[in-house]
Amino acid sequence: MTAAFLETRDLHKRYGGVHALKGVSLHIERGQFYHLLGENGCGKSTLIKIISGAQPATSGQVLIEGRDMTGLDPIQALDAGIETVYQDLSLLPNLTVAENIGLSEQLVEGHGGLFRRLDRERVTTTAQRALEIVGLPADRAFLSRPIDTLPIALRQLVAIARAVASEAGLVIMDEPTTSLTRREVDNLIRTVRRLQENGAAVLFVTHKLDEAREMGGTGLVMRDGELVQTVDVGTATNAEIGYWMTGRELEQGRYRASAKGDVMPLLDVQGLSLPGHYTDLSLQVGAGEILGLTGLADSGRNEFALSLAGLAPPEAGTVTLAGAPLDVSAPHRAIEAGVAYVPEDRLTEGLFLEKPISENITMSILERLKGALGLVDRGRARARAQQTLDDLAIVASDVEAPVSSLSGGNQQRVLIGRWLATEPRLLILHGPTVGVDVGSKDTIFRIIQAQAEAGMGIIIVSDDLPELLQNCDRIAVMREGRIHETHDAEALDEDTLYTAIAGAHALAVA
Amino acid sequence: MTTTNTETSHAADPAQGPSASRRFWTWSAQHPTIFPAVLIVLTCLVVGAINTDFWQLANLFDILRASVVRGLFALGVLVVLASGGLDVSFTAIGALVMYTLTLFVVNVAPELGMAPILALAAVAGAGLGAINGLLVNVLKAPALIVTIGTQYAFRGFLLTFIGTALFMNIPAAMDGFGRLTLISVTTERGLAVELPVYFLVLVVAALLTWWMLNFTMIGRAIFAVGGKPDIAARLGYRVGRVRVFAFAFAGLLAGLAGVIHVTANRLANPFDLAGTELPVIAAVVLGGARITGGSGTVQGTLLGVLLITLVSNVLILVGIPSSWQTAILGGFILVAGLFFARLDKVRAT
Repeated sequence: MTAAFLETRDLHKRYGGVHALKGVSLHIERGQFYHLLGENGCGKSTLIKIISGAQPATSGQVLIEGRDMTGLDPIQALDAGIETVYQDLSLLPNLTVAENIGLSEQLVEGHGGLFRRLDRERVTTTAQRALEIVGLPADRAFLSRPIDTLPIALRQLVAIARAVASEAGLVIMDEPTTSLTRREVDNLIRTVRRLQENGAAVLFVTHKLDEAREMGGTGLVMRDGELVQTVDVGTATNAEIGYWMTGRELEQGRYRASAKGDVMPLLDVQGLSLPGHYTDLSLQVGAGEILGLTGLADSGRNEFALSLAGLAPPEAGTVTLAGAPLDVSAPHRAIEAGVAYVPEDRLTEGLFLEKPISENITMSILERLKGALGLVDRGRARARAQQTLDDLAIVASDVEAPVSSLSGGNQQRVLIGRWLATEPRLLILHGPTVGVDVGSKDTIFRIIQAQAEAGMGIIIVSDDLPELLQNCDRIAVMREGRIHETHDAEALDEDTLYTAIAGAHALAVA
Repeated sequence: MTTTNTETSHAADPAQGPSASRRFWTWSAQHPTIFPAVLIVLTCLVVGAINTDFWQLANLFDILRASVVRGLFALGVLVVLASGGLDVSFTAIGALVMYTLTLFVVNVAPELGMAPILALAAVAGAGLGAINGLLVNVLKAPALIVTIGTQYAFRGFLLTFIGTALFMNIPAAMDGFGRLTLISVTTERGLAVELPVYFLVLVVAALLTWWMLNFTMIGRAIFAVGGKPDIAARLGYRVGRVRVFAFAFAGLLAGLAGVIHVTANRLANPFDLAGTELPVIAAVVLGGARITGGSGTVQGTLLGVLLITLVSNVLILVGIPSSWQTAILGGFILVAGLFFARLDKVRAT
């Protein structure tokens, strides 16, 4: 074997009493795709941080092109050709596209020295070259746009352009497709292939096995701080990978047979319209039914879901919940009527990360926890929170621990638990398993199914096709503000669904 | 689109169709300095209409002269704000440097020229500013709290250990520099109106700050750190150093401002400058710098300073009592808050 671009030897990392990495050794070769797979908390992030110089290892070695670079700092890592695109993309929101791409080069050349003249012309030319390679416009207007004015998919490509500009030997991408639609993902994959063809290794940290399979390459499966298995992601099945990641068998098929026969009607939407977003929508959800709602990000599905929760009041149409008109003019009215909406972005829209788990769970039902004098009964709040932890199998040291101390999957369950505590009749889940590992996904799906069995109506808004197919009874596909098709999920396959979402031509291009 | 166009669409905004107002906001988002510029023009038009005496060169020179000290402070505040910090200790630094330096020159080196005096003020101010930066780094405390603390500490040190007496016979070099004239024009009525040479200190400081922010690595690093410090650190920017530099730069300008204050007034009063922090910070914010960091321009800041000076100096001309000036200033700042909040919304869509 020739010298690998990157090699780690027996890396260990301890945080206080926690042994986060237990002897990880791996080889990364140029021009290859790698997928780092594992549950949240298995040590993936720690490994990435050590490789990118953000944190030192407790023991072990990091070698780059045969040279011992153990204990490198971020500047040295960049200098050696390791570019890391974290989930937040590591872009500076207030700087321009050109600066985000072209500044690093000069910073690295000066070894981080700040008291130097800046070659602005070179920033521009470097950025232009890189933008052309990733297929973005390279005109002055685009170059001078601040990052925070770009949509997320473009930011993603700008982050890749920065990796191109630095002529990186290894590009690490932490869950790059989490907030992208299918079409954007396809575009991203094409761009990343170009990087690979130029001889860079690309290491993905991902939960999406299907995307990994599409790209091909080597799957590095971690569990509990160890590299447990190296697989060819092109041929390994989800069941095999899931087994290696979790050490247990996971459900791969549908969670239950579709509800048969007459379901009691629960939600009835007639002629709902919100100009600019969706037009004349009519649909029904039965008690105990799970309806999937999908479509491209701009198809109006997000706004429709928000409307049902009172967060984007519609301008025309009627909504009936269990026979009574549902007032969707404000969120508190929808909540009182029994609608619960779990947002997609749990970090910014849902959870109070620094607050205790108990407060996060009970904050929507404080009214019901009132004791004498109208004060919140702390003891009852605690007990209610503990019950949610038990019901949803949330792994936490204590109900008073801050939510930020939990893994992603457990955070998501806290958020779902908060809304289940309101005992809703209709539960709307937006991307319920975004950024959640397969083990936690399985648990969350089982929770959803159990609620449906108990008679709750559920709407899942999602891009994750396997998730929809595994869970839903029916799937409604939206296109350009209207319901394009509605399918029974049981007989549906992924390709048909994808074509329905994107249109036939999209599949041909991809 | 020309300036007059935007003014009319600004005034008639609610009546206009969505596309015109949308265009206005998008354009404004790219040119936030339009805000202080429009307010300056409006204020001048209103004041000039009520009292035609306003349109005199003497008035312009007055405003420019009165802008120097506030302008120097404001450029420092701009740099600290851009780096994501906040500084309220700069007036205390200015006062400490001006009084101590004046005493030192009078008693120890009465022959010292103006250039070394300015250099000493810059070094002393930068040193005191660096203390702010180091404290923010070491204590990991919010810059506002740290600089409230150092404001009291610097002022207490000055009044306890240096002196409290008003000081009239300032050093010859400083006195002479304060009297040097850059431009002198004799009006029709035979009055000589003068723009002093020390106005150039503001011009040079503004050019230097502009160059530093836009054409050096540290300048971009200041905005990077002000935008997202954790990401900047990950990209290899040394966040601690950038912070110390920003505060030291503000201290340097504050030291210079202190000395100019003495040369302009020909006296050194240790109680001067205290309490002028908020109008300076307001000027920077009116100029388009966000209080949350990572933005702001030298042009906008200078316009903000001009606007504040205009309101506080010129409204007397039209017989508006000083209590009303404060209210008008408050109104401007509230409108600025609304305007920039709206711009952020436009940017986000």
